[in-house]
Parts: sequence; C-alpha cells; structure tokens
Amino acid sequence: MKGVGWLLLVVPLALALLGPWFVPDELTRGAPFMPNSSLGTDFVGRDVWHQVLAGGQTVVLVALLATVSSYLVGVPWGVVAAMTRLRIVDEVLMRPLDLLLAVPSLLVLILVAAIAGPGLPVLVGVVALVNFPDVARISRAAALEIAGRPALEAMRLQGETWWRTSIVYTGRSMLRTLAADLGVRLTGALYLVASASFLGVGVAPDAADWAVMVDRNRVGLFIQPWAVVVPALLIVALSVGLNLVFDRALRAEARS
Amino acid sequence: MSLRRYAARRLAIGAVQVLAVVTLVFLLVQALPGDAAVALAGDNPDPRRIEEIRAAMGLDRPALDRFGSWLWGLARGDFGESLISGRPVAEFLHDGLGPTLVLAVLALVLLIPAAVLLGVLAALREGGPLDRAVTTVTVGLHSIPEFALAVVLIALFGVQLRWLPPTAVGADLLGQPAVLVLPLVVLVARPLCSISRLVRAGMIDALASDYVRHARRLGIGVTRVRFAHALPTALAPAVQQVARTTDWLLGGVIVVEAVFVIPGLGTILVDAVAGRDLPVVQGLAVVFAVTTVVVNLVADLLVFRLAPRSVAIA
Repeated sequence: MKGVGWLLLVVPLALALLGPWFVPDELTRGAPFMPNSSLGTDFVGRDVWHQVLAGGQTVVLVALLATVSSYLVGVPWGVVAAMTRLRIVDEVLMRPLDLLLAVPSLLVLILVAAIAGPGLPVLVGVVALVNFPDVARISRAAALEIAGRPALEAMRLQGETWWRTSIVYTGRSMLRTLAADLGVRLTGALYLVASASFLGVGVAPDAADWAVMVDRNRVGLFIQPWAVVVPALLIVALSVGLNLVFDRALRAEARS
Repeated sequence: MSLRRYAARRLAIGAVQVLAVVTLVFLLVQALPGDAAVALAGDNPDPRRIEEIRAAMGLDRPALDRFGSWLWGLARGDFGESLISGRPVAEFLHDGLGPTLVLAVLALVLLIPAAVLLGVLAALREGGPLDRAVTTVTVGLHSIPEFALAVVLIALFGVQLRWLPPTAVGADLLGQPAVLVLPLVVLVARPLCSISRLVRAGMIDALASDYVRHARRLGIGVTRVRFAHALPTALAPAVQQVARTTDWLLGGVIVVEAVFVIPGLGTILVDAVAGRDLPVVQGLAVVFAVTTVVVNLVADLLVFRLAPRSVAIA
C-alpha cells in the first residue's frame, strides 16, 4: 500500500513539470477526434499526447501559487487578530471572513473572474481569496493557544521585544499546525483550480490544460474517449496521491 | 440563555448576514465589465442602441437607487424581473429549485446512512482490515474534483459498458431514475469520505470515554451503550459537516449540473452571470445566503440536542 500514494502523486507531477520539455516545436494538426497517433487527436485536431504533456503545468503551478499566497495573507491576518489586545481589531479582521465563507466559493470565483477577465494571475488570486479565510481562522486559533502559554508570558515579563515574542516564537510554534494543514489546503486548491478551469473561468478556451481538455473534448467522448479520460485520470491521480502521501506523513508524525 | 432565545438571536444575525451577502454580490455584479444592455445588444453593437436598451431597463439610474428599489421589492416578496427575458425572477428560482432539490434530497438520503454506517463499522473494528480499507479509500477519494470523477464514470459506464445514460439531457429526473445514478454517485463520493471519517473519529473517542466505560460498569448492554449512548455524541461533529454538504448541494452544484446537463440552480447562475442579468444573480444570492443561514442554525440546534455539553450556548 505504501508505494501507491507516491506512485499516484509522482506520475502526474512528473508529467506536469517535465512534460512541457518534451513537446515538439512544430505541432502537427490533423482532423479532430482521429485515432491516428498514440492517444489520437483532440477537438481541433491537435495531438492529445502533446496536449497531455503540456497541460499539467498550469494546474500544478496555479494550485501551488494560490496555496502560497493564501498562506502569505492568511497567516499574518490570523496572527494579528489573535495577538491584538484590542477586541475591535479582532472583530474587524475576522467578522468579514465569516461573510466570505457564507458565499458559495464557486459563485465568488465566477463573479471575480468575470470582473477581472481571464488570465492565470486572476485564477491564482481568486483561489487564494477563497482559501485564505480558512487559513486565517486556523492561524488565529493556533496563535491564540500559543498566546496563552506561560512561556510567552515569561518572555514578555523579561522584556523581550514584540518582534521576538509575537513573530519569532509564535511563528515557530505555529509551524507544526500549519504543516498539518498544508495537505488539505493543497488538495483544496487543486480541486478549485481544476473545477474553475473546467468551467472556463480564468483560462483560454483552447488552452493546453488538463481540466480544459476534459471540458472541450467531452463532445468527442463517444469517438475518441482518450482525449477526455487521460487528463481526467491524471487529475484524479494527482489528487488521490497528494491526499495519501500527506495523510501517511501526518500519521507517521503523530506516532513519533 | 434558553434555546429559543439563542435561535432568535442567531436568526437576527442571519438576517444581517443575508443582507451583507446580497450587498456584496450587488457590488461585484456592478463591477462586472459590460452590463445586461451590452450583453443583449449582441456583437458589434451600436452605442446609441445600447443607450436605448439601458434606458428601457432602467440601468441609467444610479446604482444606489436601483439597489434601494430592489431591496424594497424584496421586502414585499418581489424578486423583480429578469433583464434579459422579462420573466419574473421567482419563476427562474422555481424552475431551478426542482432539479436541485431532487439531487440534494436523494444525495442526502443516500449519504447520511452510508456515512454513519461506514464510520461506525470502521470505529468498532479500529485497526482491523475493514478500518484500514475504509480509511485508505476515504482519504484518497476525498477532494477529487467532481468533473474528473464524473467524466471517468461516464466514459466507463455510459460509453464503454453502456449500462447507464451518459447525461440527463431532456430527461424527466424522477421519471427516469437511471439518469440520476451517475450524478448521485459523483455528488455523494466527496462528502461520504469527509463525513464517515468524522463519524469514525467521534465514535472512537466516545467509546474510549469515561461515561461509556461507566455505563458498561453499570451493566448496560454493549449494543445499547454503543448505539444509544456513544453514537449520538459521536455524531455531533459530523452534523456540522452534513450542514456544509447540504448547503453545498442546495447552492446548485454547478459542475455536476454542467457535466450531466441538469437544469438546476447552478446552471441558471452561470447563464445569469454570463448575461449580466443582475436581478437573477441577486435572487439566487438571496436564496443561497438564506439557505446557508438556516442550514447552519438547524445544525447547531441538532448538535445541541445530540451532545448538550459540547455546545456552550452563550
């Protein structure tokens, strides 16, 4: 069982990151949905295998960048809310997030993407926006627990600077909680990025992207199923692999 | 604070929440490039024509004015009319609610017993082969994008084996239950994983707790302790997740509706945003926000019934 998670994770990840290097420069165009090469052609006659090689990069990179950005915004947000002595600051920071959580995430995604127009930075931004309230809440909860520790009280009494107490000590103590949360965040971001691309949010309609391939080639499902099934299976494998690997790491960590 | 006062307070907060969500959505739709007049005028429109349409729709009035009159209408139960077709928004909501409700109710009916059963079975045999198998599958399948799972299932059962219809185009959902099988499997897969894991964790905790051991010492039978005493406490954390799932199901499951061509609320939303049909988007936002507030309130009250001590009603 041990290798399955890694296998499921490494195969799509290697394809996504290394694949673009192996796409030939001059692309052959044929008739749409023909079974003439290894995986046949897609809805505009491009080689499906070349599209598969080129199409993983955006999904993986956008999910990674969105996760990193949601941490960059969410962690300081939550820590400030937890560390402040002023209740009003805490309320002002956290209340609007409850509101954001009450709006369906795909509704936010569709509206914001329609406002900002297509483009990968937009997709990164929207997925980060949807994810960051959760990160902020987890950071706040973790920081609140740390703020109540006697160690921190002792540091304050010793006259340690705000920087050392609130940032260095708290930050280091929070790492474990945040690391445990990382797997959930990454798969969540992957889920949103893929679903958004599938709905055509933030990407060009003929982009080389696994999720877009699934959407655009669906019309040819009866003639040439590989153009749909291969990218869909790669996304499934990536998601399952990520979950299994992170879960195993977490449980190993919990035992030690 | 009594339960009733707690519920009343939560409802009041909920009303504010709904208002805030609606305002937010109004502002977002205002910020969309182009408006319904541009969408309606089609390709290569004449600017004069756009102005005429805009005036006819009342889009030339200030935003605050339009928002105010829309709110006033809402207070009297009037959702307004679609800018594109002129049909009342209430009709759109009514049309979309049917398929969405059918999917949501059937999904929940399948989901809840299955998730509880899986979680309890895994917890009773903690560490055994069944538990390990259930855990691996639920960890792996959790958070697979629905569209990917859906097209793989369609390719296998709809195209290759031809056991089930690949989409629900033009089908009467309740009249032809075969079209519902694949959408329901896809809808149930993700929440089944998260909820059964919560039930399993809650059940393991409850079975190891002092009160369960004490009940056993008092001579109460194993079955009764497990199902009448441990299970309700174990279910409390799962209820919140069921609430989130219900909320998601009632919010129009856009992706599943798109893949299987089911004309529910999600499809109406996507079309309305594309057409900049503000009143329809607003109406949907109201429905979604009210659903969220009500579902979460019901879940909180249910948790209070199941495990009174776990909720501090303050």
